[in-house]
Amino acid sequence: MKRGFGFYASIYRKILIQDLKSKMSYRADFIISTFGMIMTNLSGFLTFMILFHNFPSINGWDYDHMLFLYGFSLIALTPVQCFFDNNWNLRFMVRSGDFIKYCFRPINVFFYFISEVFDVKGIGQFIFGLSTFVYAWCRIGIPVTFVTIAEAVLFLITASLFMIAIMNASAATCFWIINSGYVMVIMFRFKDFAKYPASIFNAVFKFIFTFVIPIAFVAYYPSLIFVTPDNVPLLTWLSPLIGAAFFYLSYKFWMLGVRRYDFTGS
Amino acid sequence: MYNCSLAYNILINIKTSKCFCGKCDSVTRRIIMTDKAIVMKNVSKEFKVLNRHEGLKGSLRDLFSRDYKSIMAVNNVSLTVDKGEIVGYLGPNGAGKSTTIKMMTGVLEPSSGEILVNGLVPYRERTKNSESIGVVFGQRSQLWWALPLIESFKLLRDIYLIPQKDYDDMLDLYRSLVDIEPIINKPVRQMSLGQRTLSDILAAFLHNPGIVFLDEPTIGLDVSMKSRIRDLIKGLNEVKGTTVILTTHDMGDVDALCRRIVIIDDGQKIYDNDIDHLKTYFGSYRTLKMRLSDDTWIEKEIDESRTDVMQEILSAQKEKGVRDIRLEEISTEEVIRKIYEGEKSA
Amino acid sequence: MTNIRKLTALTRAGIIEALQFRLGTIVTLLGNLIYLALVYYLWKAIYASSGMDVVNGMTFYDTMIYLVLATAMFNLLEVFVIWDMSRSIQSGEIIMHLLKPMRYRLYTFWSYSGSHVISFFLTFLPTFVLVFIITKGAIPLGMNLVYFVLSLILALMINYNVEMLVAPICLYTESTWGVNIVKETIVLLLSGATIPLSFFPEGIRKVVEYLPFRAIYDIPLSILLGKAGKSSIGSVGGCLCIQIFWIVLLSIFGNLFWNRAVKKITVNGG
Repeated sequence: MKRGFGFYASIYRKILIQDLKSKMSYRADFIISTFGMIMTNLSGFLTFMILFHNFPSINGWDYDHMLFLYGFSLIALTPVQCFFDNNWNLRFMVRSGDFIKYCFRPINVFFYFISEVFDVKGIGQFIFGLSTFVYAWCRIGIPVTFVTIAEAVLFLITASLFMIAIMNASAATCFWIINSGYVMVIMFRFKDFAKYPASIFNAVFKFIFTFVIPIAFVAYYPSLIFVTPDNVPLLTWLSPLIGAAFFYLSYKFWMLGVRRYDFTGS
Repeated sequence: MYNCSLAYNILINIKTSKCFCGKCDSVTRRIIMTDKAIVMKNVSKEFKVLNRHEGLKGSLRDLFSRDYKSIMAVNNVSLTVDKGEIVGYLGPNGAGKSTTIKMMTGVLEPSSGEILVNGLVPYRERTKNSESIGVVFGQRSQLWWALPLIESFKLLRDIYLIPQKDYDDMLDLYRSLVDIEPIINKPVRQMSLGQRTLSDILAAFLHNPGIVFLDEPTIGLDVSMKSRIRDLIKGLNEVKGTTVILTTHDMGDVDALCRRIVIIDDGQKIYDNDIDHLKTYFGSYRTLKMRLSDDTWIEKEIDESRTDVMQEILSAQKEKGVRDIRLEEISTEEVIRKIYEGEKSA
Repeated sequence: MTNIRKLTALTRAGIIEALQFRLGTIVTLLGNLIYLALVYYLWKAIYASSGMDVVNGMTFYDTMIYLVLATAMFNLLEVFVIWDMSRSIQSGEIIMHLLKPMRYRLYTFWSYSGSHVISFFLTFLPTFVLVFIITKGAIPLGMNLVYFVLSLILALMINYNVEMLVAPICLYTESTWGVNIVKETIVLLLSGATIPLSFFPEGIRKVVEYLPFRAIYDIPLSILLGKAGKSSIGSVGGCLCIQIFWIVLLSIFGNLFWNRAVKKITVNGG
C-alpha cells in the first residue's frame, strides 16, 4: 500500500497543526465558541440537576450512578464533536456543488473531507465529562486497577464509534434528500438520551435504540461493566465489534452517497 | 470485469496487435499513454431529474408522487486528445461541458460508452487517475481556505507523494513564470479572486500531471490578470508538455491558448477542428464597413465564397458614393455565436 | 405600509419551497415519533420511580404533553436567521437585501412564514393529535385551544425577534456557530423547552419569570394545559399581554441594534 495508515496519520497531523495555527488568529470566534460549548454543557448539567432535585432515582439508578452514566456519555460524545464536525457542512457543500473538490485528490474522499475541520471546542466537553466521570467513579467506589482503566479506555472508544456512525449516516442523507439538516438535528438531539439507562424502554424501543439508532451503546451498555460488574450482558462484551461494524457501515453509506450523487449542483 | 475493447482498437492502430480482454496489465496502459492523453468513445450521460409541478397544487402532488424525466447531458460524444495539446472545450451554458469533464476526472460514471484518461478508466480508478490529472473548477477554490498558500502546497506535496526535488524544481519554475511572492504566504481566504485562481492553477500543476482540466479559469478576472493567467498556462504547457482541456466562455482565452477547439451543444459534439478552420466553418466571413457620401456608416457581413467584396463596394459606390471603407476579419467570438445560434435554429 | 399581497406572495413561495422538501418532512415526522417515544419512556420511568402521581403540580401526562409539544414547537419555531445573515454578510449578498424595496427584517420574517405554515400542518398538528391519543385525552378541549394558537403565533414572533436581536452580532464577529449555540442553549433551557419550568427550584424560577424566554415555550404550553392561572380569561389575557410586551420590547431593541449594524455595513462596504 502506497498510502497506508502511516500516510493518513501523517497527513492528518499536518492538517491539524496548520488548522490550529490559523484558528488562533481568530480569537473572538474561539472565545465565543468555547463559551458556547461551556454553556451547552452547563445547561445539560443543570437539566440533570433539576431532574434529580425533583426525583431521587430513575429506574433503580441513583444519583451517583446516573452521574457516572452522564460523564461516560459526555466523554464518548467528544470524538464526534472534535473530529467529525465537518459532517455538519456536508449538506451545504453538496447543495452548492463545492463538494466536488474533494473528489479530485488521490486520497480517500471521506478522510479528505473529515480531516478539514478539527473542532477545538470539543476539548471543553471532554474535560467537563472527564471530571464528572472521575467524580462519579470515586463516589461509587469502583476499584482503580490496570484492568478497570483499560476497560474504561476501550469501552469509551467503542462507545464513541456509535455516535460517529449515527452522525456519518445522517449527514450522508443529504446526498439523497434536500433538507437533510433536519435529520442531523434530530439525530443529534437523540444523543441527549444516551445518558439515561436503556432499561426504561419496552422491548420494541430497546431494540430500536440498540440496533437501529444505537444510542444505548453510547453510555448504557458499556457502562454496565462498571455499574453491575457481576451481571454484564453479552451485548456489552460485543459492543466493540458492533461499534466497529456500525462505523464501517456508516462509512460505506457515506461513500455510497458520494458515488450516487450526480454533481449537478454546479 | 475490465472491458478492453477500446484499448484493443487503439493498440491495433499503433500496430501492437495483442488482445487484452479480461485483464488489462500495466504494459498495455503504458503503450496507450504514450499515444493519447484522452480517448472518449460514444460517451453518453443521462440524468434523472424529478419532474416538479407548478404551483401549490403541484407541490402537494410532488410530495406523494415520483415522476422522473431523463435528460441527456452528454449524447454519444467521441473525442481523442493527443499528449501536449491545449484543447478549447466550448459550448453554451448547460451544453454538457462540465458533465464531460466530470466524467473524464472520474467523478461521474458515463451511462454508456468508454473513456480512457492516461490509459485508465477514470471512474473505476478514480484515485489512480487523480494522481495524473489536475483540476481547476472556476471560482471554487480547492485549497485549504484558512491556510497560507505555501502550507497548502506542502500538504499537496505530501498527498501526491511528490519527491522533494521535483517539488522544489516546480516551485522554481513557477517563480520563473509568475511573481508568486505576494501570494505565497497569504491565506487563501484573504486573496483576491485573481490571486485565488492563480493559486488554484499553480496547485493543479504542482504534481506535474499529464492532463490539467481548467473549467472557466479566467471568469470574473480583470484584463491584466487574464493575460497573466494565459501566459502561465501557456508556459507550463510548453515546459512540461501538459495536456490542457480548457472550458471557457472567453474567446480571448481560446485565441491565446488553443489551436484546436471542440464545441458541444445539447450534449452533442458539433465541431472538432483547429481554430483556423473555424473561421471558414460557415464560409469565409468578413465584415465590410463603408462610409457613404452622407457620412453614415453601413455594415455588411460578406461570405466570400458567395459574394465578391469588390462587387459590393462598386455597387455601393454607384448608388451612394463611398468615402471610406474598412474590411474586418470576423472574430472567433462571432463565429462561435453563429455556431451556437445555427445549431439552435436547425 | 408594505403591501399585504407582496407579503402573502412570500408566504406562498415559502410553502411551495417547504413542500418540495418532501422526504425531509417525512423524516422530521418520523424523528418526532421516535423522540416522542424517548420522552414517554423516560418520564414514565421517572414517575414510576418517584412513586407519586403529581410532582410540582404536573402529572405524568402533563409532563409528557408539555415536553413533546415543546419539541414539536421547537421544529415549528426553528428559523436560521443567524446562519442566513452571517452567510449573506460573508458573501456580500446582504447588500442585495438592503436594496430590496422591503425592509430586511420584515422580508426575512415573511419568507419564513411559509415554512411555519407547512410545519404547523405537517408536523405540529399530527404530533398534537398523536399525543392527544396517547395521553387519552389529557389535553382539555375548549377555548384554551384558541388561546393556545394565538399564544403560539406570539411565541413565534418573540422567537423571531430574539433571533433578529442576536443575528447582527455576526457583523462584529465571525463566530456564527458560537453566537448561535449560546442563543439556543439559553433559549431552550430558560424557556422551559427541555424541562418544564415548574420543576425548577424556587429561586431560579423566580428569576426566569422575569426573562422573555419563558414566553416562547412555557406560556403557550401552560395555556394549553390549563395551568395558566386555571385558564380563567383574565390570567390567560395576562399571559398574552406579557408576550405582546416582550414582542414590542425586543423588536424595539432589535431595530435599534439592526440600524446600527446596517450603518457598519454601509460604512465598510460589506
